[in-house]
Amino acid sequence: MRTYGTNRSNALNWFLHRITGTFLIFLLITHFWVQHYDAQTATVVAQTLSSEQIEQGVLPEYSSEARAAVKAKFGPDATVTPYDVVMLRLADPVYAVLWKGFNILFLIFALHHGFYGLNNILSDYIRNDMGRLVARVLSWSLALVLLVVGLYAVITAGWTY
Amino acid sequence: MKLNVKVRRYDPESGKPPYWATYEVPAEPMDSALSLLLHIKWHLDGTLTFRKSCAHGICGSDAMQINGENKLACSVLVQDLVKGDGDTISFAPLPGSPVIKDLVIDQTRFFEKYRAVMPWLINDTPPPERERLQSPEEHAIIEDATKCIMCGACTHSCPSTWADPDYLGPAAMLKAYRYTFDSRDAGSAQRLPIVDSKDGLWKCYTIFNCVQACPKEIDITRWLSALKRKAVTAQY
Ligand code: SF4
Ligand code: FES
Repeated sequence: MRTYGTNRSNALNWFLHRITGTFLIFLLITHFWVQHYDAQTATVVAQTLSSEQIEQGVLPEYSSEARAAVKAKFGPDATVTPYDVVMLRLADPVYAVLWKGFNILFLIFALHHGFYGLNNILSDYIRNDMGRLVARVLSWSLALVLLVVGLYAVITAGWTY
Repeated sequence: MKLNVKVRRYDPESGKPPYWATYEVPAEPMDSALSLLLHIKWHLDGTLTFRKSCAHGICGSDAMQINGENKLACSVLVQDLVKGDGDTISFAPLPGSPVIKDLVIDQTRFFEKYRAVMPWLINDTPPPERERLQSPEEHAIIEDATKCIMCGACTHSCPSTWADPDYLGPAAMLKAYRYTFDSRDAGSAQRLPIVDSKDGLWKCYTIFNCVQACPKEIDITRWLSALKRKAVTAQY
């Protein structure tokens, strides 16, 4: 008779998958709200641009708070691009700690959640043990690379502002 | 009424691939689906092979795919499968195990997995003078799971089982639940590591096919979720 279940416990990864999944709902909503809607954080885009307008280089019309904040920082002639608005928030010392911490948490949770799920799918479709091991090592290595790139991007964002 | 009964036939000795055979079978609305197969075997084609024994939903030997869904042939009525005269009912073997002949599948691995979870009471304390007692409240925790007749409809409806032949599957893990949560059992330390493994619980993605297939209407996914929580708390 074949032996079943001789491998080590996978309870922790499964448990973390539930936890990260629950948190991701709130992290995503917060991210979306802050990044795209909240007037306090000065990033409200009052207008939706068509693809032709984007090709012509038309920039979105930001709220007066957002425009005032960017112009106060970069002078009255500064153009207000989405990039400027986001960088402005990340350059603010108080917000920076808050939002960088938030984004690092978001990054780690999303990577664990996504790559645990991806590994489940891979082990469903790859039948032999060697192939599964290779897929597991490759996918978690990719997750690690993305973590490093992501951490670098989040931590250094807004430094030059 | 008269029904067209399509049966997935396969004879390994013929060397031919499986094919659909159609029979015209007289039936009453209150007949069981099993009686259609018996009619074919007794009156039309004696070579048709399928498993059955009790004909009353007790032995669990006649789970098969009926009109594309895993069901017990003896426990489903013709009136619930067709609208009327001239309609078609199809019978095929349970998907996910090798077919031996016609509707008979090879259950070797299904019962291997069953034995792998140690489906018996583990308790080394000296037995009391009379039986080990269990209160009605303690029994209520496992009552639903004790109704399982090991028909295999659930495990053979599970996409995780189809994808991974080593996956223990719902029937075996439901047994693990039934004994792990039995107030008289003390075998968690031996049984949990078997289901908390790459072959076990974590390949249950709560697809719920098993719950839909179970002829005993057992809430399998619910009990497997309880077993998952138990496995997590046992570790940390
Ligand atoms: S849980 Fe239900 S479907 Fe699965 S083997 Fe038991 S009785 Fe059959
Ligand atoms: S023949 Fe026994 S369960 Fe159907």
